[in-house]
Amino acid sequence: MNLFQKLAKIDRRLIYLTLTVLVILPFFVKFRIPQNIMPQTRKLFDFIESLGSRETKAVLISIDYTPQTMPECHPMAISLLTHCFKKKIPVVGLSFDPQAPGLAIEAFNRVVNQINALARTNADSVIYGRDYVYLGWKSGRIAALMEMGEKISNVFPKDYYNNYTDSLPLMRRIKNYRDISIAIILAAADYPQEWLMYAQARYGLKLGAGLTAVMAPKYYPFLQTGQLSGMISGMKGAAEYENLLLNYGYTREIGRAETGMNSQTLIHLLIISLIIIGNIGYIATKKND
Amino acid sequence: MSSDPWVWIAAFLTLMVFSFLYRDNPFYKFAEHLFVGIANGYYIVFYWHQALKPNLLEPLKAGEFLYLIPFLLGIMYFTRFIPKIGWLVRLPMGFMIGWGAGISIPANIQAFIFKQIEGTVVTPETLNSGWEGIWSIIILVGVISTLMYFFFSTEQRGVLKCSSRLGIIFIMLGFGASFGYTVMARVSLLIGRIQFLLGPWLGLIK
Repeated sequence: MNLFQKLAKIDRRLIYLTLTVLVILPFFVKFRIPQNIMPQTRKLFDFIESLGSRETKAVLISIDYTPQTMPECHPMAISLLTHCFKKKIPVVGLSFDPQAPGLAIEAFNRVVNQINALARTNADSVIYGRDYVYLGWKSGRIAALMEMGEKISNVFPKDYYNNYTDSLPLMRRIKNYRDISIAIILAAADYPQEWLMYAQARYGLKLGAGLTAVMAPKYYPFLQTGQLSGMISGMKGAAEYENLLLNYGYTREIGRAETGMNSQTLIHLLIISLIIIGNIGYIATKKND
Repeated sequence: MSSDPWVWIAAFLTLMVFSFLYRDNPFYKFAEHLFVGIANGYYIVFYWHQALKPNLLEPLKAGEFLYLIPFLLGIMYFTRFIPKIGWLVRLPMGFMIGWGAGISIPANIQAFIFKQIEGTVVTPETLNSGWEGIWSIIILVGVISTLMYFFFSTEQRGVLKCSSRLGIIFIMLGFGASFGYTVMARVSLLIGRIQFLLGPWLGLIK
C-alpha cells in the first residue's frame, strides 16, 4: 500500500479525534485570528445604530430557533437585545417555533439582568412592559403574520406572562407593523420566507434576519433585492455582531460566538487540507489503477 | 465542576450521543430513544396548553360556539381511521388547500418572482456604481445562463449549449457555497457542545 492509498483510507475516528483536539485547543492556547466583518452584518448593525435613542417605534425580534441551533442563533439574540437595550430602543419579542419560548426568555432575562445590574436609576434600567415585551408563542403563523399588520393584540391578546397585551405601556403605542421599525427573524427554519411573503409584501415591513449558516445561501438573493435590510449568518455572523458591539463600546467582553471562531477557523483549515489530501489520494490511486 | 444535576445529565447525554462517532452502542441508542420520547411528550403538552386550550376549549367554555366549525373540521382529519366515513377527510383538506393556495400564490408572486426579477435589472445607475455594477452584470448572466440550463424544450446546441455550460458553473458555485456554509453550521454546533462541556460542566473555561 503506497502513501496515496493510505491517505485515501484514513480511519474516520482519527479525523474525529483531530477535529475534537482542534476545537478544544483554542480555548486553552490564547490567540486571536482576525475576523473581517461581512457587509450584511454591518448593514443590520448600522440600521439599528441609525435608530434614535428615544425611538418611538419598536424593534420586533421573532425568536424562532431551537436548542440544537443555539450555538449559532443564541449569541445573535443576546447581541441584538444588548444593542437595542443599550440604545434604549423598545423591543417586542415573539415566537412561532414551539421550541423557542424557553430560549427567548433565557436571552431576555440574561441581557436585562446584565444591564440592570449596572443601572443606577430607574431610567437606566430595562423594565418589562415599558422597554420590552415578550408576547410568547402563537400557532397558525401565516394568519398571525397577516393579522399583526392590523392589530398585534388581536393575535396576542395576552403576553407570555399572561398579562393583557393592551394593558402593557409599550403595547399601548405599538399597535401594528406601522409602529415597528424593523422585524428581525432569528430562525433555524424557513420562517423569514413567510415574513417576506405576508408581512413585507403586504404591509411593507422592513425585515432583517439572523440565520443558521445552512440557511444563509438561500437568503442572499433577498439581500441583493433589498428585501432584507441586513443578515447575520451563522456563528461567523454572530461573532461579527459581537465584534461590532465591542468596537462601538456597547460591551466590554468578547462574546460567546467570537470565542468559538478560533476553533471554527482551525477546523476549516483541517477540512480544506483533508479535501485536498483526499483528492490527491483519489487521483493518484486512479492513475495507478 | 458543576453541582447542578441537570448539567450533569445534559453532559452525559451529550457524551452518549458522541459515542456513536466510535461505533453504534447501547448508550447512543438510549440517548436517541430518550430524545424521541421527550420531544413527543414536549410537543403534546405544549400544543395542549398553548394551542388547543386557549384557542378552542376556553372560547367554547365562554360560549363562543362559532369555534365548533374549526373543531369539527379538525376532527374530520381523524375520520381517515374509519373507512366508512373516511371520505370526510376531503372537506378539511379541501378547505386547507383552497385557503393555502389563495393566500400563498399572490404573495409568492409578489415576494419571490417580481422582486427577484427586479433584482436582476441592470440600470445605468447600477452600471456607474463601480463594483456593484460589475456584480449586477454577473448576477444577470448567472440568472440567464442557469435558466438556459433548465430549458429542455430543444436540443442544447450552439449558443444554448454554451450558455447552459456556463449555467452549470453558476449552479456548482451555488452548491459549493451551500456546502461550505453547511460545514460551518455543523462545526458551530460541535463548538457549542464543546463549550458546554468545558464551561458549565467542567468549569475549565468561562
